[in-house]
Amino acid sequence: MPTVGQNGLVDPIPARAGIGLRGPHYQALLELQPDAGWLEAHSENFFGQGGAPHQYLEALRAEYPLSLHGVGLSLGSVDELDPRHLDRLDDLVRRYQPGLLSEHLSWSSVGGVHSNDLLPLPYTEEALAHFAGRVRQVQDRLGRRILVENPSSYLRYRHSTIDEWDFLVAVAQLSDCGLLLDINNVYVSAANHGYDALDYLASIPAERVGEIHLAGHTANRCGDRTILIDDHGGPVAEPVWELFKHALVRFAGIPTLIEWDSNIPTLDLLLNEADQAQRLMEQADAIAA
Amino acid sequence: MPSLREVQNGFLNHLMDANAVSAEAWVMADGLTPAGRMQIYRNNLYTSLSDALAAVYPVIQRLVGIEFFRQTARSYTAQHPSLSGNLHDFGQAFALFLEQQPYTHALPYLPDVARLEWAWHESYHAAESGPLDLSTLVAVPVKAYESIRFVLAPSARLIHSPYPVLRIWQVNQDDYSGDPGVNLDQGASRLLVLRQGNQVLLQELDQGTFLWLQALAEGLPLQASLNRAAAAQPDFDFQTALHRHVHQGTLTEIRT
Repeated sequence: MPTVGQNGLVDPIPARAGIGLRGPHYQALLELQPDAGWLEAHSENFFGQGGAPHQYLEALRAEYPLSLHGVGLSLGSVDELDPRHLDRLDDLVRRYQPGLLSEHLSWSSVGGVHSNDLLPLPYTEEALAHFAGRVRQVQDRLGRRILVENPSSYLRYRHSTIDEWDFLVAVAQLSDCGLLLDINNVYVSAANHGYDALDYLASIPAERVGEIHLAGHTANRCGDRTILIDDHGGPVAEPVWELFKHALVRFAGIPTLIEWDSNIPTLDLLLNEADQAQRLMEQADAIAA
Repeated sequence: MPSLREVQNGFLNHLMDANAVSAEAWVMADGLTPAGRMQIYRNNLYTSLSDALAAVYPVIQRLVGIEFFRQTARSYTAQHPSLSGNLHDFGQAFALFLEQQPYTHALPYLPDVARLEWAWHESYHAAESGPLDLSTLVAVPVKAYESIRFVLAPSARLIHSPYPVLRIWQVNQDDYSGDPGVNLDQGASRLLVLRQGNQVLLQELDQGTFLWLQALAEGLPLQASLNRAAAAQPDFDFQTALHRHVHQGTLTEIRT
């Protein structure tokens, strides 16, 4: 078991399946210490100064490699980056030395008002220059590279001029960040907007991808259309597992996370999902070898 | 082409208020209506903020019912939108908001229960603190006693209510199985909220101790704080109170 934090060194995230760290599982994870490859915590869940969340995270950090995944920095906003938010994130990064650090290709707030949601950006040259600049600003402030995750989306703007996958790759090139490829989000957005998920994956340069996410979604009827909603509230859907198998051909040896954030399951069920991802990763490695 | 700033302003206005239609013109219909697509984001916003509020105010949710709580959370969010990317900051003005709602006439203790739940939430996430180092107290010359200032733990909060809010809080915990009755005429609550280790404690205080700690929290020197306590409760026992609150970590530091 890695013992981190203790030597102050960053403990890299292994190319294995990991699980999202959620409150209902803290105690069971500590007591049972199951064979999960790594843990990923939502950064903001640890923005408090002390108490139970930090005591658990300290203890779990000593047993597992840790990644931090932000949901509230609002990289795409025209508002200035919130200095308090960056300070808290910087404190967390220094304290826990996460192996990976990620945020989203989205925006959340404007005029100081936060939606606390991942809202879609128009994919324009203006937005691209802005977003890449913000990623550079954050990387400079934290002194390390971050990963940017592709979002699920339920609408597109009329004035977008760049495809999402090209926008994402351009952000990575302009800011020298890595990418967090969420296979469920690719599937959800492709279904909602009628593009080909395989084309999306084919456009992403493998060397930029530092992490993969898998999660559940639900199908909602809206009029006579079905819209897929990325709710992280259930097991990974069968077609998303299929898409993951395709992805593994190009993106081999990349840490893969099971995210399950609402209707949180038992730890066993979550670990079963991670096992399934792990088996598919090993099969893909065996074929490639 | 609208600028990024225009899009974000219009989009968020439209999310918060469905009557502000400025964002629709920028959205592709694509088999649905732009309004229908915006509605998905609006639902997400109100659902996640309502869930965040329910996580901080489970007792309020139990007292008014889940459905009514959701409606209340929605009006609260519209009037007091989230101002932080950290959802733990959301809900600070909920007690104040409840005070202004007409149904609070029938449930007048709601705002104070909300104050207690917010205090619990803040205490749970507050910074760690150690016990007071008694040698610092011993080192204070006697003639300086009256002017020293005690510092309360970062997790300490004081709540005063004319209602028995501790009793209301206790009988509305998920694991409570005793007598659910609450006698509203039971009298005022003076509570200390304090975290020890991971556990948030709720402690009933007598009037003198409450006023003494409240004065210390305001930064008053020792003598002034004792005067305030003794004026309200002539038999206030300072030695016992000091021992208890040093021992249990309510007081963490002395400034001379």
